[in-house]
Amino acid sequence: MLEALWEGLLLVLQWKAFGFMLLGIGLGFWVGLLPGLGGATTLALMLPFIYTMQPVEAFAFLLGMHAVVATTGDITSVLFGVPGEATSAATVVDGYAMTKNGEAGRALGAALASSLVGAVVGAVALAAAIPVVRPLVLTFGSPELFMLAIVGLAFIASLSAQGTRGMLRGFLAGGLGLLLATVGQDPQAGVARFTFDTLYLWQGLDLVPVLVGIFAIPEIIDLFVRGNSISGNAPPGNVANGAWQGVKDTYRHFWLTIRCSLIGTFIGVMPGLGGSVAQWMAYGHAVQSAKTPEERERFGRGDVRGVLGPGAANNSKEGGSLIPTVAFGVPGSTAMAILLGGFLLLGLVPGPDMLTKHLAVTYSMVWTIVLANVITVAVCFLFLDRMASVTEVKGHRLIPAILVLVFIGSYTSNSHYGDLLVTLVFGGVGYLMVRAGWPRSPFVLGLVLGKIAENYLYISVARYEAAWLTRPVVLVLIAVAVAVILYPFLQARRSRSRA
Amino acid sequence: MPRNASLALAVGIMLAAGYAVFAAKGWQWKAALFPLAIGIPLFCLAAVEVLWTLIDKKTAEEPAPRSVALPWAWMIAFLAVIVLLGFPVAVAVFVLAYLKLQAKESWLFSIVFTAAIWAAFYGLFDLLLHLPFPAGWIIEWLGLA
Amino acid sequence: MKRRQLLIAAIGLAAAPVAMAQSFSGKTVTIIVGYKPGGGYDATARLLARHLPKHIPGKPTVIVQNMPGANSVIAANHVYNVAKPDGLTIATFNRNLPIAQLTGVEGVKYDITKFAWIGSAANESTILAIRTDLPYKTFEELRKAKEPVVIGSTGPGANTHDFPLLLKDLVGLNFKIVSGYSSSADIMLAVERKEVDGRAGSFTSLRPFIDRGVVRPIVRARSTEPGIDKLPVDESFAPNPRAKAIMALRSAPELVARPYVMPPKTPADIVKMMRDAFARTIDDPELVAEGKKSKMDLEFTPGDQAQRILTDVMNQPKDLVAEFAKYIKFGE
Repeated sequence: MLEALWEGLLLVLQWKAFGFMLLGIGLGFWVGLLPGLGGATTLALMLPFIYTMQPVEAFAFLLGMHAVVATTGDITSVLFGVPGEATSAATVVDGYAMTKNGEAGRALGAALASSLVGAVVGAVALAAAIPVVRPLVLTFGSPELFMLAIVGLAFIASLSAQGTRGMLRGFLAGGLGLLLATVGQDPQAGVARFTFDTLYLWQGLDLVPVLVGIFAIPEIIDLFVRGNSISGNAPPGNVANGAWQGVKDTYRHFWLTIRCSLIGTFIGVMPGLGGSVAQWMAYGHAVQSAKTPEERERFGRGDVRGVLGPGAANNSKEGGSLIPTVAFGVPGSTAMAILLGGFLLLGLVPGPDMLTKHLAVTYSMVWTIVLANVITVAVCFLFLDRMASVTEVKGHRLIPAILVLVFIGSYTSNSHYGDLLVTLVFGGVGYLMVRAGWPRSPFVLGLVLGKIAENYLYISVARYEAAWLTRPVVLVLIAVAVAVILYPFLQARRSRSRA
Repeated sequence: MPRNASLALAVGIMLAAGYAVFAAKGWQWKAALFPLAIGIPLFCLAAVEVLWTLIDKKTAEEPAPRSVALPWAWMIAFLAVIVLLGFPVAVAVFVLAYLKLQAKESWLFSIVFTAAIWAAFYGLFDLLLHLPFPAGWIIEWLGLA
Repeated sequence: MKRRQLLIAAIGLAAAPVAMAQSFSGKTVTIIVGYKPGGGYDATARLLARHLPKHIPGKPTVIVQNMPGANSVIAANHVYNVAKPDGLTIATFNRNLPIAQLTGVEGVKYDITKFAWIGSAANESTILAIRTDLPYKTFEELRKAKEPVVIGSTGPGANTHDFPLLLKDLVGLNFKIVSGYSSSADIMLAVERKEVDGRAGSFTSLRPFIDRGVVRPIVRARSTEPGIDKLPVDESFAPNPRAKAIMALRSAPELVARPYVMPPKTPADIVKMMRDAFARTIDDPELVAEGKKSKMDLEFTPGDQAQRILTDVMNQPKDLVAEFAKYIKFGE
């Protein structure tokens, strides 16, 4: 294994492969940054160009592009409150809040540093897990995946505000998300649910227009009404200053960052959970790390841990999701499906061969992820000042550009005007939630996990009847879910007894 | 405003959940199970929130901030222009109009900035990605499409 | 007098291809795909788009646009009603759209037989494959199975669901169909986990797993390819002519597996030109070489043949269609 590891590194460091990786990074930088240039779509566009490349070069290019998207996506989230990618939405919550507090530099530093940590952890996991990956993935069947979705939903409790009222609102938001997840044709009976006779809603609500609406639009309205710059309400100071502070934060909360990276990797390994879940579960876990209710209240208003968690998780999940793609030929996301197409194109058959005969190629992918992120983060740090100073530009100059980004970002999913309407409608919902003080993260969790939970529940019951409830991993996950739900209550009680 | 917003959301959720339960009753059980299992508790929780909000006198009534009608008007106008004139034209029209009318920038700044944004938009999303941008309704009606 | 008329006619004939060539040069032909990038329809369209320009007079640019939504009904509606019949718009969409029209799905605003048919770029064959470590090697053995055989599927409307469903409901095989998997790749993972015992699907997608020995093909639908032609056909086990007709109706669209059409009322000479262009492109050695790499095997079925097959589908008697609709819903 060690020779393959070394061989993999040497493969990436060849001139041609390295060059292609840099090219991929250059592309991926902008793809992640700009909403609307979806990682998956651009990957599909790039496929034809790799026909004439050698496998290692092609992967250096594709992966170099893809590995970086999760890192730069966080930049747009932090600076403008617009998710650059669907997987960078959770970074908006605290990242943009920090920017409004005048801490854009610190938030960027934290996002970048945690992205790097996450990418490395994900890559290491990919490398280390290779011997055990097949039995690991095979142990997680549909019942276990259903329970994982339940654990994810359990985080709704942690993401809600304190107190019974807070919980009520959190559950209302989560419940609404779950309900909206049922829109579309159901995979059991084929009934078109809640489609109101439109073709547009047949396949359900697309995540990106909703996310962009619910997070970006309220912030645009706020910026408009304020009339000053994004960081205008904060005490004067150099917004770019805090970059190293952000990096230090990553080390101050090192174990949290590692734990969130591991959450991301694990979720990434489970095919079928989708790409958006990991960041929200990591965010939920970051919220749990608050030691007192007062600390908890700070989340959503600019706590750096709210940036570290999702920042790490959305990168580590990329390394994780390569595992089922490479080891089983089962892609965990659209981007992975396209990468899989790339594999086949290059004559590599995913499966046990990739973990034995072509192990060096697999390891070259690991190295690509690590190197691509190191390079990207380094380059970003060079330009960080410039990036952070955008937040001092007059708001009314930025708003038209941001709105164009928002609208095009929403449109590119399906090229359907309906998405634009959805964005505005959920912009309204998001606006009301912000005014009413309701948390929006539970809503997203419900929306993202609803379909997954429903499908896996039906599969589990159809296949195992009631027996699936007694499977060992399921029982463990039930305990985890209960623990996650009770955690905020226990915490509140502990801090009250201490007070 | 927080109170009204909370009320609006809770009532909205009640209506949505109520409708969901009503619509789901007619479906086969496999399709109806989840919507019912979520919709019924959701309706009850929303009702609780509505009552709580109505009874609760404690929530401070923040004065509404400066009117938000204007930003909404701009965004809805953007959507309307996209549908009427097509996406690429709408981008140029909207950005220019906003910079001049709302941001009150100089003509030079407005035109240069609009050109830059439009060029980036067009280059990326039309030339590179070939996104389908239907011609706007007005353009079609005028026969210019 | 006559000679002059002949001369004018000869010049006219010679000028026609030039006139047509001039009509396409400098233009852009758009292939609208009813799915997001990354899937099979999209990959086929992009492969064709790369090699079509050489074979269309005037060498226009050919680009691909994605118009996903409603399992490509939106794209079909658009090209049927909105796109101009000037030869610059081509659509490729879900092969099951005829079924959507036949079973009266709401929102269908096209008549599949009235499109200007270019043809089908490939054939698909659906097979059912069972895990190799199970004791069923042939259809007869499967038929006699005492324990229910668990088949995973993605949902109604997909061949992963409909093919085994008909085998279960019409032929009486002891299947338990578990649906809701998010993709056929997920079902394969479930097979390896022994959560399900097998799945149905296209031969192309199952082939890597057959080659690796994970699953074994048992039965196929009517459309065949080298490698599976020895397999028994599902229709041959139908207990009565009606059941056979229902199975045949389900597999009819597979003979037009990658449909390519242009808007209705596209001039006949443009349609002919496009058919020729497609035929030549699909035979183009460069395309074949590229296709081999991604395991895409393209084969051209000309538009008139496709149109005949689908008109047949549309003309099925109402009572058969009503019975058919009880089993098969339009979905993926």
